[in-house]
Amino acid sequence: MTQPINHVVELRDVSLAYPGKKVLDGVSLAVHPLDRLVIMGQSGSGKSTILRLILGILQPSAGEIFFKQFEISRLSRTKLQQVRARIGMVYQYSALLSSRNVGDNVALPLEELTRKTTGEIDQLVDEKLALVGMSDSKNLMPSELSGGMRKRVSLARALVMDPELILFDEPSAGLDPVISSVIDELIISLTQHSKVTSIIVTHEMDSAFRIGTRMAMLYHGKVIAQATPGEFKKIDHPVVQQFLSGSTKGPILEGTKDAVTTK
Amino acid sequence: MAAANDAGGPRTAEAIVHAPADLVAGVGEKSHSVLVDVGSIFWFIANTIGETLDRMRRGRVPFRAASFFRHSERAGVESVPLVAMVSFFLGLTMALLTGYQLERFGTERLVPGLVAIAFTRELGPLLTGIMLAARIGASFTAELGTMQVSEEVEAIEAMGIGPLRFLVAPRMLALFALMPALSVISSAAAIFASALISRAYFNIAFVYFQDLVLQSLLIRDIVTGVLKSFMFGALIGAIACYRGLTVRGGAAGVGNATTSSVVTVITTVIGFDTLFNIVYIVFFP
Repeated sequence: MTQPINHVVELRDVSLAYPGKKVLDGVSLAVHPLDRLVIMGQSGSGKSTILRLILGILQPSAGEIFFKQFEISRLSRTKLQQVRARIGMVYQYSALLSSRNVGDNVALPLEELTRKTTGEIDQLVDEKLALVGMSDSKNLMPSELSGGMRKRVSLARALVMDPELILFDEPSAGLDPVISSVIDELIISLTQHSKVTSIIVTHEMDSAFRIGTRMAMLYHGKVIAQATPGEFKKIDHPVVQQFLSGSTKGPILEGTKDAVTTK
Repeated sequence: MAAANDAGGPRTAEAIVHAPADLVAGVGEKSHSVLVDVGSIFWFIANTIGETLDRMRRGRVPFRAASFFRHSERAGVESVPLVAMVSFFLGLTMALLTGYQLERFGTERLVPGLVAIAFTRELGPLLTGIMLAARIGASFTAELGTMQVSEEVEAIEAMGIGPLRFLVAPRMLALFALMPALSVISSAAAIFASALISRAYFNIAFVYFQDLVLQSLLIRDIVTGVLKSFMFGALIGAIACYRGLTVRGGAAGVGNATTSSVVTVITTVIGFDTLFNIVYIVFFP
C-alpha cells in the first residue's frame, strides 16, 4: 500500500468479477496531473465500471485504486465522501435531479458540502453556468433542456466544487456531430482553464482523438494498449486496428453473437 | 410440482417423486428471501440513522428544513382528507352495526366507548398506516426508484453527499412525526361519526356521548395508539424508501418495486401491530 507519487489516479492490478462474469481482469492504469486520459473499448467492456471504481461506488474484487494518496476501497464512509467531493463526474445521460431547476442542480454540492452563504453560492453557480454558456437557463427545469444543454449543466455541476479530477462517461453519446464537437471543445478548454485532470470514457473515435492527451484501450477486461494519440494509431495490435477502422472483420467479433449477424 | 403443472403436460414419475422436495425448496427460498429483506431493511434504517448522526456530529444540519416540510406536507397535510373521510365512514358503520346488536340487550350506551377504544388504540393507527402505505409509501418508492434508474441517486452519491441522509432521512422523519397526528385525526373522525349515529339512532345526546367516551377511555389507550403510530410511520418510510433505492431493471423494475413496497408495508404494519399488542398485553397487563 505504498503511496503513489505524482499520480492523480492509479489502478494497480484491479479485477472485478460478478458471479459467472469477469468484468475487469488485472487492469493497471496511471493518470498524471493535467492528463486527459481517454479509455476506449467496446460497449460493455467495463469502461464505465472503472469510473465507478475510482469513485468507490463499486468495490474491486482484487487490486488497489488510488486517488492521490488515498486508497479508495479502504476509506471510511466519511473520508470517502470527502474524497468524492474532490472528484467531479459527468454522467452519460447527465443524471440531473429532475425535481430541481438548473441553478439548484449546480448549487446542490455547494449547499450540501460547503458552508458558503446563499450569495456566494449564487455567484459561483452563475460563474460556472457562464463557463458552459448556460447563463440564460438557470431557472429552467432539466426536462426543458436538450441533450447537449443537459450535458453542459452536468459539466457545470461537476466543476462547481473546483475538483482535482473530472470523470466523463460517454460525453458525446446521443449528441449530433456538431454538438458533440462543441462538448469536446468545452471539455478541452475547461480542463485547461481549471487546471484539472480528467478521465474520459468513450467509444467515439473522433471525439477520443480530439480530447485525449493519452489513450488506453480496454479489451476483455484488460488494458491492451496505452499511448499518446499519435502513437496509438501506429500500434500494431489487431484489436486496436479493427477498433480504429471500425471493420467487421477481425478478432473483436470472433465467437460472439454479433459476429453471426454480420455474416 | 409447480414445474410439472406449469409445463401443462402430464406429470412425469420423476416430477411426482420430486414434488415434496420441490415444495420444501420453494418454501425455503421464499423464507430465505424474506429473512434477507428483513435484515437489509434493519441495516438500511441503521445506516440512515448513522449517516444522519455523522453529519450532525460535524455540526451540520442533516437535511434542509424545506425538504422536511415539503415531505411533511405531502405525506401529512395532504393525507388529512383521505384519512378523515375513510375513518368517518368506518366509525359510522361500526357504531351502526354494533349499536343494533347491543340494542337487543339494551346496552347501546356501550357504543361510544367501544368505538372510542377501538379507534384510539387499534383501528386509528392501523387504518392510517394502511392508507399511508398505499398513498405515500407507493409514491416514495416510485419517486426514489425513478431517481435510482436514471442514475440521479448515484450522481448524488458520487458528489460526496450521503443519499440516505439526503433522500431517506427527511422522508422517514416526516412520516415518523406526522403519523401520530394523522392517527389522532382518524380516531377523532370516527368518534365524531359514532356521535352522529348515537344521536340519530340510539338517542344518546352529544353531552352524554362525551361523558361515556371520557369514562371508558384510559390514558393508556391513547398512549398505546400514539406509540404504535410513531413505529408505523418509521416503518412505512423505511420500507418504501428501501424498496425505491433497491430498484433494478428500468421502468418495469419501478413498477414491481412499487407493488412490492405497498404489499410489504401493509403486511409489516399489520404484523407489527399484532406483535405490539401481544408484547403490550403480556408485559403491561
